[in-house]
Amino acid sequence: MHAILRSLIVAIGLGLFAAICSHAAASVVLVSSERSPAYIEAVEALVGELERAGLLRSDVLQLMASEVASVGALAPKIYVALGSEAADVLAKTEQKVPVLCILLPRSSFERVLQGNGRKTSAQFSAVFLDQPIARQLDFIHLALPAVQQVGVLWGPESQSQAAAMKILAQASGLEVVDATVGRDQLAFSSLKQVLEKSDVLLAVADPQVYNSSSIQNILLASFRAKVPMVAFSPAYVRAGALLALYVTPSQVGQQAAVIARGVLQGKALSVTPLYSQDFSISVNEHVARSLGLSLDAESLRTRLRRREGAP
Amino acid sequence: MRQIKIRMPLVKRRACLLVSLGWVQLAFAQSPEVVSEKDFLEDMPIVLSVSRLPQRLDETPGAVTILDRNMIRLSGARDVADLLRLVPGFQTSMSFENVAPLASYHGGFDGYSNRVQVLVDGRSAFSPYFIGSIGPGLQTVALVDIERIEVLRGSNSAAYGARAFLGVINIVTRDTLDTMGLQASLTGGEIGIRDAQARIGWGQQDARFRLTADRRADDGLAGANGHNQINRVNLRADLRADARTELQLRAGGYSINSGKGQSGRVDDPLRDASFDSSYLQADWRRTLGADSDVAVSVSHTQEVYRDTFPYALVPVDIDGSGTSSSDNISVQHTFRTGPALRVVWGGEFRREKVTSKPLYNTDAALVTDFTRLFGNAEWRLSPNLLLNAGAMAENSSVTGDSISPRLMLNWHVADGQTLRAGVSKAYRPPSSYEKSSDVRYFLNGKEIANTTRASGNVVPENVLVRELGYLGDFPRWGLNLDVRLFHEQINGFVRQLNANPSAPKDYANTEDFPIHGLEYQLKFRPWRDSQFIVNQSFTEIDASVANGVATPYAAPKLASTITFFQKLPGGIDFSLMHQDSGTRTLQGSGLSSRVATTRTDVRLAMPLRVGSSRGEVALVVQNLGAPYDDFASNFQFQRRAFVTLRVEN
Repeated sequence: MHAILRSLIVAIGLGLFAAICSHAAASVVLVSSERSPAYIEAVEALVGELERAGLLRSDVLQLMASEVASVGALAPKIYVALGSEAADVLAKTEQKVPVLCILLPRSSFERVLQGNGRKTSAQFSAVFLDQPIARQLDFIHLALPAVQQVGVLWGPESQSQAAAMKILAQASGLEVVDATVGRDQLAFSSLKQVLEKSDVLLAVADPQVYNSSSIQNILLASFRAKVPMVAFSPAYVRAGALLALYVTPSQVGQQAAVIARGVLQGKALSVTPLYSQDFSISVNEHVARSLGLSLDAESLRTRLRRREGAP
Repeated sequence: MRQIKIRMPLVKRRACLLVSLGWVQLAFAQSPEVVSEKDFLEDMPIVLSVSRLPQRLDETPGAVTILDRNMIRLSGARDVADLLRLVPGFQTSMSFENVAPLASYHGGFDGYSNRVQVLVDGRSAFSPYFIGSIGPGLQTVALVDIERIEVLRGSNSAAYGARAFLGVINIVTRDTLDTMGLQASLTGGEIGIRDAQARIGWGQQDARFRLTADRRADDGLAGANGHNQINRVNLRADLRADARTELQLRAGGYSINSGKGQSGRVDDPLRDASFDSSYLQADWRRTLGADSDVAVSVSHTQEVYRDTFPYALVPVDIDGSGTSSSDNISVQHTFRTGPALRVVWGGEFRREKVTSKPLYNTDAALVTDFTRLFGNAEWRLSPNLLLNAGAMAENSSVTGDSISPRLMLNWHVADGQTLRAGVSKAYRPPSSYEKSSDVRYFLNGKEIANTTRASGNVVPENVLVRELGYLGDFPRWGLNLDVRLFHEQINGFVRQLNANPSAPKDYANTEDFPIHGLEYQLKFRPWRDSQFIVNQSFTEIDASVANGVATPYAAPKLASTITFFQKLPGGIDFSLMHQDSGTRTLQGSGLSSRVATTRTDVRLAMPLRVGSSRGEVALVVQNLGAPYDDFASNFQFQRRAFVTLRVEN
């Protein structure tokens, strides 16, 4: 509650700030798709990090995606788009300065590129919300060393990752047991088929497969089959997944601030979009206990970071 | 099956009504079609809420043996009673003389088994008509619909009330999600085995249904009046109103038609008898939060028994017919306060009615109301020490109040090594028959005999259980060990008095005695795709032998089973089961019937695949060796071979 209140104050403060100051003075313009807590958390982290680096409040302007068209001439050095809608709005307007898209998954970014006939470049790049496949597999390997078969349910939106997942899994000594859920098709038989042969169910975001109404059956079936779920957001861990590997909005905000500062100092955006450098891990301790597992989120995170070469 | 025909459409109508009221509309709710940040940032409903997470086997307040779906299939058993042979401490009979095959724990004291509770998806399924016997209730559902059977060995009245005096058999059926589509099986073989079963599962995400109908039929034991047939139908619906609320509806029934009696016996001639039972059950559960759940369950069960024959010596009919019903409503709240304490508490009201003019000499129903308040706290004293403290306060409108408490301490000595110690006390109030039976015979309106007249001078029997347990898991050697050392002191054991053959039979609290001993289960996977399961139980019943009552021999001093499962190349399953029980009395007979039992079963099954359908063809031979006595010394369980064909899409 406290955090939300603080975030609101920051948001209102930023809004007032933007209104008072001359738009043209801002060197960083943040364009947000929504005002919900996750976006506010990312903005807060981003602005905080920039301030620590010596930027003034007046150097940062925050806008909603819907306001972009109505705002007059701006001359920032970088735009940061938070969320798919903001990315789409900025993709549509021909900007002369680099646009960094954050708080959106890879496929949303690709859809924005495709929809606007753009290519990823030093002018239009991103930090993704989803986690790299290799990191997900490393994570499973670390947390659940006995796992050999990784079950995956692909939907129309996630299917494009299937080939890469198989190759990377093989490289790390894992086998992918997968099934595809077609559009407008119920996941019952695919789920059954996958759970029968796997040691863990790795959830890959696809609203056709995982949504607030399907999650009940999927989690209950996986629990019955003693095949724990490793998911992509902490909400799934609260719901009953054993583990989740994800990046928090605040971690994304911080990484975006570091990149923005680089641009302000004359560096170019990475032509290849990036995955988040930092990440978080959640464990459902009740589920872990009932499966006879003992897992510690913080030590797992430290070990996974070390594996990736982080200090 | 008369009752079922009346009830099933009613349930279907209700389900349809719910569907039309929008229960299923959620299934078609537009989910966003494309991935966006919302998939990563939005909240999800709590699914594995506090009451959905079962206790681990090494944290339960007592010994638990689980017979899972795979083991049920590999065993080749045709019903639950036969399966329970594979649980340490159980005695079984395949006879239909007392309505249905029977299983009892730590003593087949008489022709019924009424010191163990049987639950089918949480509903008490023991028979109020048959002195609380669990035999018929074990037949409630088709074997193929069972997900697992959890057998809680040891008194569990603190959680399940009076009938859980010595243990609980908890039958859990498969989720409708796991039984979508069509499935059927046919079994045929020796001794007239003709089983058939068909199932259909349908529905969407938030409204799913299953309908199963099946028949179990055979000619029974050699020497018995054979032709036993059980016909069953069961419907289950899983509905979800919203992300936090779910409703399960169940309805079904079974009809047992069996040949009974023995040729030449005037008091037990060859005849047909039938037992019909049907039920309706609704379970509602709401998740109040990450750490709190509430559940309400309502059920109605009814039974009709028909068994009448003319007595050969005098022109009167001997009749055991009658009806009974039970209605149940229970509320249960489960919550967690931090990682160290989980509490389940609730209340239950149950009304049992038994009506039988021939058995009670009255047209009025004998009504017993039970009001129960129960609670169990699972308190983690330290990471390696768990205390389960629970109690049930129970009021019976007939026998008054009782409190059944239990304390159990589980200590995880080392990784995979658990010691358990505990004590519990339980009460079993006498059944309507033990309390109020009054069997009279009339000729031309004049009473000519009064064979049974319960004086009512009987109070609840009680048991004080002290037990030690050990659970060891040795993954490196593929080995699991579960040991239970027990001392069950029964006080005021209720028994039929047979001392004076000319006086009407009565029931009384006759004797105090302990049942004590040790039982263990060892599971061993020595090589790939194999499993050995060794059960042994050493049981002593320190009761007296008097007037032909053979209580000390109600359980064998030593009983062993060894089971071996092996998956062979080509997906072929091989099972070998051997049972060796020491001398004990047969469940329907007295002291003179003491025998030892040896039985060996073998099963060989081959997977089938026809197009998109999967299946299996299995050959089972039960009792490869010589016939053994079951129920009476002139009834034998002879060798029987049968083949099962199972197909599902």
